[in-house]
Amino acid sequence: MKCNESNFIRRLQRQKEDALEFIVDTYLPLIKCVTYKVLSPLNNHGVIEECINDIFLSIWNNSNKFSGDITDFRKWICAIAKFKSIDYYRKARKEMVFPSDYMDMNAVRSAEDELIMLEDRTELIALINQLEPMDRDIFILKYFLGLNTNEISTRLGITPAAIDNRIYRGKKKLNNNATNLMLGESGT
Amino acid sequence: MKDIYELLNDTNIDDTEFEEIEANELEKANLKRTLKQSISKKKSLKRWKKDIAAASIIIILSFTTFGIAFPTYASNLPVIGDIFRYLSKEDPGSSLYDNYQEYSSQINMTEESNGIKITIKDAIYDGNTVSLTYSIESERDLGYNSMIRSPSIIGSNGSSGSSKISRVDANHYVGIDHTTGYDMKEQEQVKINWDINSILIQETLEEVKGNWNFNFTLKATESKEQLINHSTEQNGVKVTIVNMSITPMSFVIHYDQEVSEMVRTKWHAVDVYLDIKDDLGNSYSGKGNGGTGTDDYNMSWSKTFQKLDSQSTKLIVTPLITLRSYTSENHGSVLMSRDGESKKIPIPKKSGKGQEGFALPDIIIDLKK
Repeated sequence: MKCNESNFIRRLQRQKEDALEFIVDTYLPLIKCVTYKVLSPLNNHGVIEECINDIFLSIWNNSNKFSGDITDFRKWICAIAKFKSIDYYRKARKEMVFPSDYMDMNAVRSAEDELIMLEDRTELIALINQLEPMDRDIFILKYFLGLNTNEISTRLGITPAAIDNRIYRGKKKLNNNATNLMLGESGT
Repeated sequence: MKDIYELLNDTNIDDTEFEEIEANELEKANLKRTLKQSISKKKSLKRWKKDIAAASIIIILSFTTFGIAFPTYASNLPVIGDIFRYLSKEDPGSSLYDNYQEYSSQINMTEESNGIKITIKDAIYDGNTVSLTYSIESERDLGYNSMIRSPSIIGSNGSSGSSKISRVDANHYVGIDHTTGYDMKEQEQVKINWDINSILIQETLEEVKGNWNFNFTLKATESKEQLINHSTEQNGVKVTIVNMSITPMSFVIHYDQEVSEMVRTKWHAVDVYLDIKDDLGNSYSGKGNGGTGTDDYNMSWSKTFQKLDSQSTKLIVTPLITLRSYTSENHGSVLMSRDGESKKIPIPKKSGKGQEGFALPDIIIDLKK
């Protein structure tokens, strides 16, 4: 049986390798665009390639978590690609050696940056799950997918002020909850 | 609790902001290879099942298709899955080999010598021409223009063909070879002997010696012959379409050209190019397989064209003729004798200058269903 537009999601979820080939053939140009947009400032082709590998591997390993049709699938893998690319960008920036003049700038990181940089993000996900659905969307758009407040406001149809407000309250809530977690131990 | 992938599933991201950046076959192939390696590490438990399945396929194939010798089999070598398509991409507009992979048999025979591994990947015999694809893994750089002699078809009386090797990177190359045999004893299957003694690097004219020897048998793909024998003639040039054979991935046209005495005294060479369209407006690209004849003017040729549209009922063939004259700049010929001596042949004087072209009246072929 051959893989085509109507059956590839099902075949992917059944872990058929031809479905993986199919999504590489179909979606590589799109995924490339997403990663290049985020990662090209790093000027590091190796990172881009590694990131693309990682994106497809994540799609493969997590295909069971997807539900929806082919339009949703396209959105889903775009989101994964963007999230992974930003992740790689942050990691690469972190590893970059800064001249001592810039050290101070680098040292100041906000609480949410610290949280996102956790190697094991299970705890963070656990925290985000505690938020209301609306706040959860805002947090994911803002911190995982790198959208700014205005973009989120047009997407979700609420005012920028309301978003900032929700983020403020959400952060506070996360902060409270995070201190209760044993960071680095409970995630496994 | 939802994990990040489920959360992203619920997030409505705007995917129209992204355009597409073109990705070439090589990139895709590399990515697929890396992915498969990562996956297979994970699935090591299931692996034995696959191995047995692969082994049984090879055994079945070996009984049905190939009979003679078995060099080592390589499974994880492929850099590029469909070499037919990959190499025809370098030729813009040519989709002649798009359907070849589907109908070809996997050979996967590897021979290693002098640090160079040659693997025959796929081969196909359309009843006329043997096409095979191969990959080369080399420790040393073979340059951008390397050459290997073509395989020979056992039982044929002479052959013609073309081949091409394309560089993937300094250590990997892919190649394709088309060989057409003449006066073949059997049409249903062919025995191929490919005895490679050297690889010629054209930039440096260096020959890399080694010994790579392949033997295998190929069955012809099913094909439908149709006798035609239609001629068209004008200005002293006559073209006859003798027959055509249709295979699932291509069709082959055999045609003869005859040139009158009047044209011979004026021109050094007469070229015939067949332009083929069907009644649905499709136009077919093709590749000449070479030909035989009594002299340069009266020749029998064959040419392979891409897959025929199954809906079409007629083919319209327009032979385009080019008359050419040779000058010392564009032509030189040498006569070689059996003991290796060669003698330059002077260009005979003829009255035609430069080149002239015209089209012969169309030949319409009604396709038998």
